[in-house]
Amino acid sequence: MSKAAMVERDLLVFSIWAVLGFGGLALLLEGFSRDSYMISLAGTLTIVAGFVAHIVVNGVFDCGFRPGEAALGIAAFGALALAFIGGWAVGGLSPTDYWSGLTLFSVLAVGLPAYLSTRYGLRGAFSRFHVRHADDGKPAA
Amino acid sequence: MTGMASTIWLPLFALFYGAVMLYWVRVSMIASSSGDGFFSAGHALSPWISALVIAGASMTGWFVLGGSQQIAEQGFQMPVLIVGGVLLALPGTLFFKRLWFVAERMRVSSQAEIFRVYYQSAFLVVVSVAVALLFALGFAGLQIRAIASFIDLLTGGTVSRLSASVVLGFILFAGAGIGGMRAIGLFGVIQTVLAFAGIIALSGFALIWSGGFAALNAGLLELSTNDASAGLFTVNGVIHFTSGLGRGGELADANTALANLSFAFALMGFQASPLIIKLVLSTGSPNGIAAGQTWVTAGFFGAVIAFCIALTGAAGLVDRDLALGGLFSALQTGSPWFAAWIFIGIAAGVQLLAGLALFVAGEGLIRHIYRPYFHSRLSKQGAVTLTRIAIAVLAVLAMLMENLTPVTLSALAALALPMAFQLWTPLLGVTWLPWITRPAAVTGVGFGIAGVLLTEPLGYQVLSFFGLELPWGRWPWTIHSALWGMAANVAAVLIISAITNRSALGPEAREIRQLFSGLLATSGKAQGLRSTAWSVTLAWFFLAVGPGLIFGNGAFVATGESGPVWLLGMPSLWAWSLAAWISGLGLIWFLSYKMEMASPVHVAIPPYEPPLRLKKDKSAEEQERLRILILTGAVGFALTVLIAFSFGG
Repeated sequence: MSKAAMVERDLLVFSIWAVLGFGGLALLLEGFSRDSYMISLAGTLTIVAGFVAHIVVNGVFDCGFRPGEAALGIAAFGALALAFIGGWAVGGLSPTDYWSGLTLFSVLAVGLPAYLSTRYGLRGAFSRFHVRHADDGKPAA
Repeated sequence: MTGMASTIWLPLFALFYGAVMLYWVRVSMIASSSGDGFFSAGHALSPWISALVIAGASMTGWFVLGGSQQIAEQGFQMPVLIVGGVLLALPGTLFFKRLWFVAERMRVSSQAEIFRVYYQSAFLVVVSVAVALLFALGFAGLQIRAIASFIDLLTGGTVSRLSASVVLGFILFAGAGIGGMRAIGLFGVIQTVLAFAGIIALSGFALIWSGGFAALNAGLLELSTNDASAGLFTVNGVIHFTSGLGRGGELADANTALANLSFAFALMGFQASPLIIKLVLSTGSPNGIAAGQTWVTAGFFGAVIAFCIALTGAAGLVDRDLALGGLFSALQTGSPWFAAWIFIGIAAGVQLLAGLALFVAGEGLIRHIYRPYFHSRLSKQGAVTLTRIAIAVLAVLAMLMENLTPVTLSALAALALPMAFQLWTPLLGVTWLPWITRPAAVTGVGFGIAGVLLTEPLGYQVLSFFGLELPWGRWPWTIHSALWGMAANVAAVLIISAITNRSALGPEAREIRQLFSGLLATSGKAQGLRSTAWSVTLAWFFLAVGPGLIFGNGAFVATGESGPVWLLGMPSLWAWSLAAWISGLGLIWFLSYKMEMASPVHVAIPPYEPPLRLKKDKSAEEQERLRILILTGAVGFALTVLIAFSFGG
C-alpha cells in the first residue's frame, strides 16, 4: 500500500472511531447512568458498527488491523473488563448494568473469532493461534 | 452526579483530541520534510479530503454557533439561513474548477497569486490578504471567544474564558503553524466528521427535551398565534426604507425579503474567500469538485443545516432554556460525556476554520506581501519560518482581542463575509467574464470595500471618530452591506470595463484565456442549456431567497376553526425553505454536471513557461519601498491623530 493510501486509510479509521467509538462510549455511559438496558445496547451496537466500518475500510484498502490498533483495542478491552469486574466486585452494578456489561463483552468476544473467520476462513483463523512448528521447515523430532 | 465526575469528561476528551491532532501534525511534518508541502500540501490532497474539509470549514462550527443562535432569537424571519448549504456551495460550483486549472497551469497555490498573475495588481493581492486577516482575527476570533465562554460554562468557571482562549490559541498554532497546510487538510477530515456528529447529536437532545417534533411545533404554533411573537414566523415585506440599525432602524424590523437576499450574498462570500480557495488549490485533482459541492456541501451538510441546526434553533425559540448555552448546561448536568463529545465536535469545527484562516493570513503576509515586495531574496525555508512566526503573532493578537476588545472583534468579524463577497468580480473576471479589465476589477473592488465599510459599524464608527457622522446606520433599507458593496462594485466594473481597453492583457492572462477557450471550452450541449440555466437560477433566487419568500409566509398555512393550521406540521417558512433546499440541491447538480461548471475533466495541464526575463537585483528598490511604507505609515498616523484631535474623538 502506498504512503498516501495508508494516510487516507488512517484518516478514515480515526474518523470512524471519533464518531462511532466515542459516540458509542457516550451511549454506554448514558445507559449505565440511567440504568437503561436499551440505551446501553444502542451504545454496544454503535461500537460494533465502528468495528464493522473499520473492517470495511481495511477491506477497501486491502490490509488488516495494524499492530498499534490491535494493541490499543486489546488494552481498551482489558481496561473496560477491569472496570466492569471492579464494579461487580464492589457491588456497584445494578442488574441492568450487569446485563449491559455482559452484552458488551459477549458481543466483543464473539466478534473476534467472527472477524478472524471472515478474514482468514475457519481453518485459517485457527491457524492464527495454533502455530505448527513443522511448518518451519525443520524435520519433526 | 458529583462535580468531579461531571467535569472529568471534557478534559479527558480534550486530551484525546489534542493527542490525535499532534499525531496528524507529526504525520504532516514528516511528509512535508522532503519537499515544499508546508504551504500547499504538495498540491496532493485527495479530492475526497478537500470536498469534506471545504464543506466542514464552510459551515460546521460557525453555522451551529451563529445560525442556531439567530433562529433561537429571531425565529424564522431569515429563512435564508436554512438554505445555507446551497448558498455556500454555489460560489464553489462557479469558481473552483476553473481556478484549479489556472493554478495548475501557472503553478500557483493561492487566490492572491492568481490575482497577481492575471491582473498584475498589488492592490488585489493586498485585499485578498486583508480578507484572510479579517477571517483570522475577526470572524474566527469571535467564534473562539464563544467556544472559550462555553468552556467556562461547562467547567463551572474552573477554566476561565481567558485561560481557555490561551489554550485554544496554543492548539491553533500547533495545528496550523507547525503542521502547515497538510495538517489542516488531513486533520480537517476528522474535525469535520466530529463537528457534524456533534451537531446531529446536539439537535437530537434538543428534539428529545422539546418533547418530540410534534410538541416542538405545537410550541412554535402557539408562539405564532401570539401577537407579540407572530412576526418571528414571517418575512415582513420586500424592503423597509429605514436608515439602518442604530439610526432608527430596529433589528426586529430588519426581516424583509431584501434583508434575506442580501444576507444570502454575504454567505456567498465565504467560498470566494482566500481561505477556501487555498484548500481547492492544494488539491491534487479537480475531479471531486462537482461531487463535493453537490452531494457533500449542498446535499449532506445542507440537510444538516435545514434540519439539525434549524431544529436546535427552534428548540431555543420555544424554550429559552434550550438555547445553545442552556442546552450545554443541561447536558453537562445530566450527561457530561455527551456534553464533552458534542462540545469537542463543535470546537473542532471552529478550530478548523480558525486554523485555516490563521494559516492563510500568515502565508499572505509573508509569501504574498513581504517576500515579493520587500525581500525577494528570502529563501523558501526562511519564508516557512517567518510564516510560522506570523501565525504565532496573529494567534496571540486574536487571543488578546478576544479578551480585551470584543466590540472591535465583533466589528471586524462583521466585515469578513461582505468583504469576501466583493472578490466575486475579480474572480469572475479570471474565470468567466474576460471583458472585466484590470482597472475595472481593481476599481470595482475598491468601490465595493467602500460600500461595505460605509454600511457596517467599523466604517461609520471610524468616520465618527474623525468627526464625520453618517446619516445612516448599519444595513440601511434593511439591505446587508454585502449588497451595498456589490452594487457599487458592479457599477464601477461595468462603467470602467466599457471605457478601458479589453485586450490589454498580460501574457499570463492571455495564456489563461487560451486555456479556457481551448482545452477547457464548454461543450455545445452545455452551451445550448445556457438560457435554461439562467432562468432556473434566477427563478430559484427569486423564490428561495428573494422577494418570493413573501409567498412562503402563507404557502403552507390554512385557517382552521380554532386558528391557523400548519399543513405540514411546521412553520410555513421552514417548510418553504426545505423545498428551497431540495430545489437548490437540484440547481447545484444542474450547474455542476449539466452546465459542466464543476464536472470532472481528464486532461493533463502542462506548466506555463514564462518568457525569459533578465533577473535583476531588486534589493535597493525593495529597501526604498520599505522606507516609503514606513514614512507613509508615520505621516498617516500623524494625520489621523491630528484630524481626530481637531474634529472627532
